[in-house]
Amino acid sequence: MVPDTRESLILRLPDKEDLAAWDEFATIYQPLVYRLARGKGLQDADAQEVVQEVLLAVSRAVDRWKPGAEYGRFRDWLFRISRNLVINQLTRHKQHHVASGDSVVAELISGQCAPNDEDSRWFDLEMQREVFHYSAARVKKKVTDSTWQAFWLSSVERQPIPVVASTLNMSTGSIYIARSRVMAALRREAQRMLSDETSNQPSSAMQTSQLRPANLAGKKQP
Amino acid sequence: MKLSKGSPQPPTRCDQVQLATLLEGDDSQLEFQKAALHVERCEHCQQQLTELAGQHHEWEQISDFLRSYSDGNFVASEQSTSADVNHSGSNDAIDHSQLRAHLDSLLETPRHPEMLGRLGRYEIEGVIGSGGMGIVLRGFDTELHRPVAIKILAQHLAYSGAARQRFARESRAAAAVVHEHVVAIHDVDTDGKTPYLVMQYIAGESLQARVDRDGPLTPREVLRIGAQTAAGLHAAHSQGVIHRDIKPANILLERGVERVLVTDFGLARTVDDASLTHTGVIAGTPHYMSPEQALGQTSDFRTDLFSLGSVLYYMASGHAPFRAEKAMAVLNRICHEPHRPVWEVNSEIPDDLSDVIDRLLSKKASRRFSSADEVHQQLNRILASLQQPRSLNFRKSRRWFRSHATTLWTTLAGSLLFLALTMSLTTYLRVVSPASRLEAASDGAPAASLTGPSTQSPSMPLNSTNSPTHEERTYSIETWQLATRDDRQAWQAKLEELSRQLDTQQLPDGHRSESQFESAWERELGLINQRLETLQNSL
Repeated sequence: MVPDTRESLILRLPDKEDLAAWDEFATIYQPLVYRLARGKGLQDADAQEVVQEVLLAVSRAVDRWKPGAEYGRFRDWLFRISRNLVINQLTRHKQHHVASGDSVVAELISGQCAPNDEDSRWFDLEMQREVFHYSAARVKKKVTDSTWQAFWLSSVERQPIPVVASTLNMSTGSIYIARSRVMAALRREAQRMLSDETSNQPSSAMQTSQLRPANLAGKKQP
Repeated sequence: MKLSKGSPQPPTRCDQVQLATLLEGDDSQLEFQKAALHVERCEHCQQQLTELAGQHHEWEQISDFLRSYSDGNFVASEQSTSADVNHSGSNDAIDHSQLRAHLDSLLETPRHPEMLGRLGRYEIEGVIGSGGMGIVLRGFDTELHRPVAIKILAQHLAYSGAARQRFARESRAAAAVVHEHVVAIHDVDTDGKTPYLVMQYIAGESLQARVDRDGPLTPREVLRIGAQTAAGLHAAHSQGVIHRDIKPANILLERGVERVLVTDFGLARTVDDASLTHTGVIAGTPHYMSPEQALGQTSDFRTDLFSLGSVLYYMASGHAPFRAEKAMAVLNRICHEPHRPVWEVNSEIPDDLSDVIDRLLSKKASRRFSSADEVHQQLNRILASLQQPRSLNFRKSRRWFRSHATTLWTTLAGSLLFLALTMSLTTYLRVVSPASRLEAASDGAPAASLTGPSTQSPSMPLNSTNSPTHEERTYSIETWQLATRDDRQAWQAKLEELSRQLDTQQLPDGHRSESQFESAWERELGLINQRLETLQNSL
């Protein structure tokens, strides 16, 4: 479902590229925030509310964005403030209507809130999960089905390469090439979105994922 | 292995560049195929390629990420990314077979073979329509034995907690409004699998259908329907309920009695519902939106007044006030462009009504009416005055003035401009001294510098008697004295020429009275004297 907020932004974001960035942002953030909220123990309906609030708060903050060196590219800025907003929102989930306070938004934009490390890491990990999920959908559309299957079966489903080769009726070498091509494309896609807002802690999220992948892997998507 | 000449044997050396080609290059290229052949046999390069694509932990992690979404379907994100920019106008497009399948899954088997199905105590007879929030069914209440309209929350919304809550809130808000011009809410069920709302069934058609079929309505019909709609809106507003989606399709005309009923408070929310008042969500048909809705700003009951203005306009003219091919262009017009006055589109419309519509369509909410009740009263008043029409001449002359306003203003401004120009030209010619003209003519001789603001009326018959006038003589002498000896001759010639020119350039009105001339001359002389005195003093 396309977020309602988009409609109100169309007039405010004259640049098509910015609008595309918003769409991508909303696509990634909706399931992400939902999962995070559920992970914090919120009920389905409450988690949905949090998703709405985050999107609305960010859409309101969009008015404050100005093109120029100070804020950087729109998409970078968007992902940066949203990260802060969400971490903040989840950290103090008692404050239910955080989104309606202008001062909160201002605080977020100025980057003054300092979320604690654990929440940040958790967020970044979930962000990566969502971004890779999103990237996978995009890459899948760009490659042939057998190429995708070669990657999916051999790495996600951990089937031995010779088995995959015989299943797909492909040579071993082409399985290697196909899966590597998909992997490279996935990383390229994801890099586009992850590089900016997690650049201040480039590898920490990658490492934490190995510490706690299992307990987070089972989270349901909305 | 050796490289054999001309054979397609792959090279044995494992080349990084070629591996990069495999990852990102075009697979139809020769380079790619060569490398692919090599990788087929070289285990080392298979590993190299894998590492080049991603480090071991990256392979692990990304696979983990994707496994957590292991159902492998990306429907959700694919749908969102391919969403149409202009989807706002196409909410009604619901596939019929899809609708039927959806209904079958919702309804229990009917008790009667002619019915579609059953929902609680309601037998479903047919589908009335479908919209953004859901579908509307025609049903029959088996307990109270009356026909009802049942609105079922759309499938994609039924699973969303927020939408369910909104639906429940909306129903509660709408149920609180009891008024003869508002469709009554009988029942609501938000607990079951499919939330639904049971409403009074209105036999008739929507205003949209009426105007589509019959074209613009008569002024009396416009006023009657407008007044009743305003009354219904006022009832809702006084309960804190804002409609937010007033449009011709939401205004029903009951068959026979022609009673007007406002329906589908589909987007209505109670004003005190804090989490939703600041949303700035745009939803609804773009043509009847208010500027504040289009801009995603906070809106209050006055948004309904704007939409009501658009509906009145629609009834009077047969089309919405702001039209464009694309939804976004419509929104842009709503926000930034004035509408064409409705009396220009339909000359039958009384000016008073046109004025009411203009005021309702103010871009600024504060310039609209203070309440829907005020609109109701205004429209009723105009309706009453139509019964005893005033003289048409007044209306016609007012019309004439309004439609020719631009021409009138232009003429007036033009006349004023002409007048001003004439006056300034006269003054200019009066002020400019012949000496300075001499200066211009003689290429910068220092003639005029001391003569000061001496004036000569151009309308004066300078050389009419073929002898130098008193004034001309004076100036000639002055300039003569100031000019250097060498160019006296040239000066003399110039002066004579200039005199002739002035003579021929005379204005038609060359009959100024002697006394006027004298007084002007004396005044100028006084000024020159003054000037000389100050000069002497300064020396």
